[in-house]
Amino acid sequence: MSTPTVEAPYLDISDPSFAMQSEALRAAREQSWYARTNFGLAVLRYDEVSKLLKSPKLIQGSAKWPAHNGVHSGLFHDWWIKNLLVLEGEDHHRIRRLLNPAFSPRLIKDLVPRFQALANELVDAFIDKGECEFVKDFAEPYATRVLTILLGIPESEWPKIARLASTVGLALGVTFKQDLDKVEAAVAELYEYAEELIKDRQANPGEDFVSRLVLANRDGDRLSDEELRNALVLLIFGGMDTTRNQLGLAMQSFIRNPEQWELLATRPDLGGKAVEEVMRTNPTVTWVTREAVEDFTFQDLPIAKGTTVHLFTQSSGTDPQAFPNPEMDLLGEHAPHYGFGGGVHHCLGHFVARADMSEALPLLARRLAGPHLAGGDEWLPDSGNTGPIRLPIGFTKRA
Amino acid sequence: MKTIDVDRSLCDNHGQCAIAAPSVFRMNSEGILEFEETFEDGLLDEVEEAIDVCPVQAIFLKD
Repeated sequence: MSTPTVEAPYLDISDPSFAMQSEALRAAREQSWYARTNFGLAVLRYDEVSKLLKSPKLIQGSAKWPAHNGVHSGLFHDWWIKNLLVLEGEDHHRIRRLLNPAFSPRLIKDLVPRFQALANELVDAFIDKGECEFVKDFAEPYATRVLTILLGIPESEWPKIARLASTVGLALGVTFKQDLDKVEAAVAELYEYAEELIKDRQANPGEDFVSRLVLANRDGDRLSDEELRNALVLLIFGGMDTTRNQLGLAMQSFIRNPEQWELLATRPDLGGKAVEEVMRTNPTVTWVTREAVEDFTFQDLPIAKGTTVHLFTQSSGTDPQAFPNPEMDLLGEHAPHYGFGGGVHHCLGHFVARADMSEALPLLARRLAGPHLAGGDEWLPDSGNTGPIRLPIGFTKRA
Repeated sequence: MKTIDVDRSLCDNHGQCAIAAPSVFRMNSEGILEFEETFEDGLLDEVEEAIDVCPVQAIFLKD
């Protein structure tokens, strides 16, 4: 009698040549709903990703990330082990309840005119050149200035915020240990920023995002100064790279699907669908990690306590079993993607990201015709959190 | 008393509502949402929170 694990494919996810969008991965997915890897299990198909993402048998699992990299103390470590993503149970739920109101979709909607003005301003600066470096000239300033708008700090602060967010981001990558001093310095600077903002809103509360966090009150329970500060760092850290990278990947998707770009140019009402379809087929977060809290069996596969389970979002989003036509299609109906994760740890800022990207993409489509690669593009590895580092594009200015 | 409804075709069982308004929403042992269709007026703030946070906006206040 053969056991399931004998038949499952094997993927080395630490190999530098490992790629999410590859024949090897598609073949593995066709063979099996999961693959064994050098570091836990990878879940490849939509239905299984959907179920496991919300399973109470799995926790988020990356609380030990700094320790796994030999980092046991310091500002980043102390912030990380208390940040919302790694908390579980009531500790998690309490913070989530207090942060939720500030991220309400109804409040985010009011910021849409500012997102549009921002997008137009950025496009105005390069539209007559017929070319731009899309990351530097659009995606990065757009993603960062959206955060400054949300935080109510001057948009002119954006280069500093972008630099700090990117530096802290090194802590989640392969150079964490080498870059530790830089990361620590960036966290310290972000803390100073956050503390100033908090003090200001405590003294002069308004209707803005930070004020809402400061005033958040659930049956008398409030966020402490430390919890407020940690939340602001999380917003900056979690909201910049992701949106920047996702916009770059969106441009890549539309360069590959020019008829969809033309459709979007005449149908700005499809902005929301465009975001969903890009994130389904070309997400920046290509996998979401979980850890088993107990031994359990899922679809005849025994999963031991402590097993790392990688939920592959790009693979699930293009799974032919869930999407008979896996290609991006703004006019089609599709099951929801998991580019924002899911379950209790579902991205807290997703309404912000959805709103700002839904404005940016149709606006870009309306103003730039025929975007194409101009050469010299550089990319993060097609694994983990991916996206372009440099994306020179050419286009024709529309009348 | 007020009434809510959940569009099950949209509901993806994330469980955010169960965090925001645990007196009205809960996830069962299979990870599927169970909820009280009617609730006391005093729970309205919590329920509105749940309506807001649902990632797929599947919850509706009926009256």
